Amino acid sequence: MRIISKMGAGLAAVTMTAGIALAGNANQIVVDGSTTVGPVAKAFAEYYMGKHPGVNITVSESGSGNGAKSLINAACDVATMSRAMKNSEVKAAQDAGVLPIEKVVAMDGLSVIVHPSNPVANLTLAQIRDIYTGKIANWKDLGGPDQAIVIISRDTNSGTYESFQTLVMNQAKLTGKAEYVGSNGAVRQRVMSTPAAIGYVGLAFTEGVKALQVNGVEATPETVTAKTYPISRALYMYTNGRPKEGTPLFDFVNFCDTPEGMKIIQDTGFVVKK
Amino acid sequence: MRLQTRKVLDRAFAGSGIMAIALMVLALVILLAPMFVRGAGAIFFTGTVEHRRIMLEKFERGDRAAVEAEDRAARTAREPVYRDLAAFEKSLAEGDAATRRKYGKPLHDLKKAIHTLLGPAPDEVRPMLMRDQYGQARWDRAQVKLAQVLYREDWDYSDPTRAGIKRLKPRAADFVGTPIEGLFSYVERNLDKMLLPRRTVYWQFLTDDSYDSHFFGGIWPELLGTFYLTVGALLFAVPMGLIAAIYLTEYAPDNRWTRLLRTCISTLAGVPSIVFGLFGLAFFINTIHVSESKSVLAGSMTLALMVLPTVIRAAEEAIRAVPATFKEAALSLGAGRWHAVRSVILPAALPGILTGIVISMGRAAGETAPIIFTAAVSVGKPLALWQTLTQATPALSWNIFNLATEHEAVDEIRHVQYGMVLVLVSLVLILNLAAIVLRARIARRMRA
Repeated sequence: MRIISKMGAGLAAVTMTAGIALAGNANQIVVDGSTTVGPVAKAFAEYYMGKHPGVNITVSESGSGNGAKSLINAACDVATMSRAMKNSEVKAAQDAGVLPIEKVVAMDGLSVIVHPSNPVANLTLAQIRDIYTGKIANWKDLGGPDQAIVIISRDTNSGTYESFQTLVMNQAKLTGKAEYVGSNGAVRQRVMSTPAAIGYVGLAFTEGVKALQVNGVEATPETVTAKTYPISRALYMYTNGRPKEGTPLFDFVNFCDTPEGMKIIQDTGFVVKK
Repeated sequence: MRLQTRKVLDRAFAGSGIMAIALMVLALVILLAPMFVRGAGAIFFTGTVEHRRIMLEKFERGDRAAVEAEDRAARTAREPVYRDLAAFEKSLAEGDAATRRKYGKPLHDLKKAIHTLLGPAPDEVRPMLMRDQYGQARWDRAQVKLAQVLYREDWDYSDPTRAGIKRLKPRAADFVGTPIEGLFSYVERNLDKMLLPRRTVYWQFLTDDSYDSHFFGGIWPELLGTFYLTVGALLFAVPMGLIAAIYLTEYAPDNRWTRLLRTCISTLAGVPSIVFGLFGLAFFINTIHVSESKSVLAGSMTLALMVLPTVIRAAEEAIRAVPATFKEAALSLGAGRWHAVRSVILPAALPGILTGIVISMGRAAGETAPIIFTAAVSVGKPLALWQTLTQATPALSWNIFNLATEHEAVDEIRHVQYGMVLVLVSLVLILNLAAIVLRARIARRMRA
């Protein structure tokens, strides 16, 4: 008898906690997706939680592709992406009853980075394409030292990879020698420790590496805004449907339009959209 | 074989055995020693006045009057730096365009380097990111940043057929003949007055929230998350594992099916953890929706699946190791099968079962792959118990990986990463020690 009554009490406790947990959901924002948008999303979350202690915002950086999948499976509230959603993803979302709403958060330039010891300072888009298709395999063909080029790319789940494919590669296939790594930070570290390496990352990840000029233009906030830097792109946040005004979700997604949000975007190294 | 030869062979074997063990110990020391030394740097370090300011302003810790007095002293020592910079900037603005161009970029870089070292200038608008609001909080990092104020990296590319050569150029050389020429030696000589380094013990590293994505503060959300995940995994795995083990040893008929089942369990123990992780995402989150998104609950269940085979096998072995006479005696006294299991076999098998459980605990605490898709996030608050049902959490194993690879400022926060490694390794070591002690205690009680 005692055991049964104990179990009953336990069950009641479980239902109660479950009830509280469900009630608490409005104050929880789950952010998943791009590693490029990561620094901005994390800083937004921190700032917002500082102002609203009752809200818990979790941020994962698993790649834009995973962010989209997560949103389609209704497993996140905000998918951060460093590329626009593909038609196939939008379709999959609609089939799953999710209506992806796009919000441009900031602008970003894809920096092509090399080791600081590399004398090469400028590459044309065509040269970068040739490096990544394997046509140019040695730095000496680009006016550099006689060293085989170590090609670092993001993994195919990455929005940065997709942007690079569209903006630079014209969807040409990457050489089989390319090395795929899982995040912007990892590309940067790989290039930092490998003298003959080349890689591409978002603007916020160029500390300690040498960012090349592309077609003679340096990637700066000004050239990205003016679109004179040839590989510029937008960074996005996607939500399921338009968030209701006044909700934490609405505030979070639209935080990039506030003066504080713009300052954070600049301070993390990205470019405020016009 | 002659006796002599046998003796020699015997000794040779003993000798190589000792060698092997010595090598293992050496490897362990080489592995663990730097981990402990560098990890301890997260707690024991030389902190600057900036660290104490952060403690006061963010955690309301420390003597307010003392810290404010220190802050004033530091500001007084820094004052000439900002004054000279401002004066030089003003003279540039009033001077001719050529000079302005000449000093524009070097001055901009210098100001940035000084900002990183000492924090924002007194008249500067308060920056948004916390990393920009304070100067260097650790003296070791301050030394690195000081070098960046004094020198700039210059790469000599004069020979394009070879890799460039790094040269450190004193920044002072860029400003010869300007009013700020003396600023560099002033900063170098007076850095301790500007930052007031002092031996610091920061125990709260373990219990503080993290600030500005791990730039400042501690690792409490990660520690708590790892705790929740581990305990949660055991909550699921231990009852299920025990019941399965008891069934397999005491109740199941010994036929082909049971043997097949055992093989399956052994195979499950060898499945790579990432497979469990993906299964957890596909099954717990996307199919049966234990939670809407990643959550500690889903992560615990995934980890439980992963350690379940270990728990079952350990319990099975332990139960099998109980002499058959125990059970026979209990049964002959009229005990039922369940009664015999509960009052005779389980207590006798307890040490072995517990060892299995604690080893599983260590594994659950340390695994990364199963929680990537089911429970772990880069940034999140420490959770209250009831939130574990619906919310995801940072966890030590995952955040070590995150800080080592994905984080945008890896080099600035190595100490946090090492601190996390130290805590995780200590946690697993303590768990294993607990297993040994517990086992010895119970075994002693059983003998008595």
